[in-house]
Amino acid sequence: MRRLTLPAAIVLIAIGIFSFDSCTGSKSKAAGEASKAAEAARKPAPNFTLRDENGAAVSLADYKGKVVLLNFWATWCGPCQIEIPWFEQFEQQYKSQGFAVLGVSMDDDGWQAVKPFVVTHKVNYRILLGNDSIGQLYGGLDALPTSFIIDREGRLAYTHVGLAGKNEYLSEIQSLLASKAQSAASLGVAAAPALLVGAAE
Amino acid sequence: MLLLLPLCSWAQQNKLIVTPPEMITAKRGATVKQTLRVSVLPGLHVNSDKPKDEYLIPLKLTWTGGPLETKSVSYPKPEDIKVGGQELAVFTGSFGIETEFKVPENAPAGTTNMTGKLRYQACNNEMCFRPASTEVKLPVSVE
Repeated sequence: MRRLTLPAAIVLIAIGIFSFDSCTGSKSKAAGEASKAAEAARKPAPNFTLRDENGAAVSLADYKGKVVLLNFWATWCGPCQIEIPWFEQFEQQYKSQGFAVLGVSMDDDGWQAVKPFVVTHKVNYRILLGNDSIGQLYGGLDALPTSFIIDREGRLAYTHVGLAGKNEYLSEIQSLLASKAQSAASLGVAAAPALLVGAAE
Repeated sequence: MLLLLPLCSWAQQNKLIVTPPEMITAKRGATVKQTLRVSVLPGLHVNSDKPKDEYLIPLKLTWTGGPLETKSVSYPKPEDIKVGGQELAVFTGSFGIETEFKVPENAPAGTTNMTGKLRYQACNNEMCFRPASTEVKLPVSVE
């Protein structure tokens, strides 16, 4: 077996340390991990049906046509509590434009833990109770908060593992709301003359 | 590199390490103290035994089986930190949890184990991991 040269050994050790640091979830940067899918590469958000606090069945598919911020959280998650007031504001501000926040609680203690929290924090968006199955559907959800921003076609546009910046969320939501508005507007402009031309012929 | 992979998968499940405690030897009727050494992985913290927010899950050592009676469990003084404007009382790095045991007069002589569990909830400044429990075994020799 060939011996490793010193530089190669240093590189391997550095990669190893980096990998270990990544897998412990310990990071020194201020925000969590974020990823953006290019529009053509967006994958459908896995559908699910969960119950809200009134026992009503709620499916993600019910929200097709809306931009959805799907937030996995838990009452015991401190960083989740930081984001909740932002989401309340987003819900209020953009609801009329076809936006909704869906909060899926991953509390093992169920509604017994979640209901008082929702009341205390005056959460104004829909909260559902999650389970391990939905956790698997969305990649395991080892860390909370984990949030997905879903476009109007029901595709995963943005993913945030860990606390993200409020402005980051805002610009992503606005861009998804605006891109649809723009495409609808451009379709309308293009379609009208075509119809008129057709009618004239 | 490949040698580090098992370490990585291990790290995804355990956010803290409990050093296996040494055997304690005690006579019937005596009181003994034992300190369990715990290390939280770098970059993480666990909630203290008394978190400042009622919804956060406290660190808790519970002895569930064995010949000794648990008189008290003492945790160290927590560290106060602020994350995103939220004040937290946490433990980081290495620390000890002290348990005071009483050896009952009728405890059987010989060597056995005290068993227990340490429940904790680990986070870093951006995310939290699911609450977890780790089993604890304390070898005990009753004379």
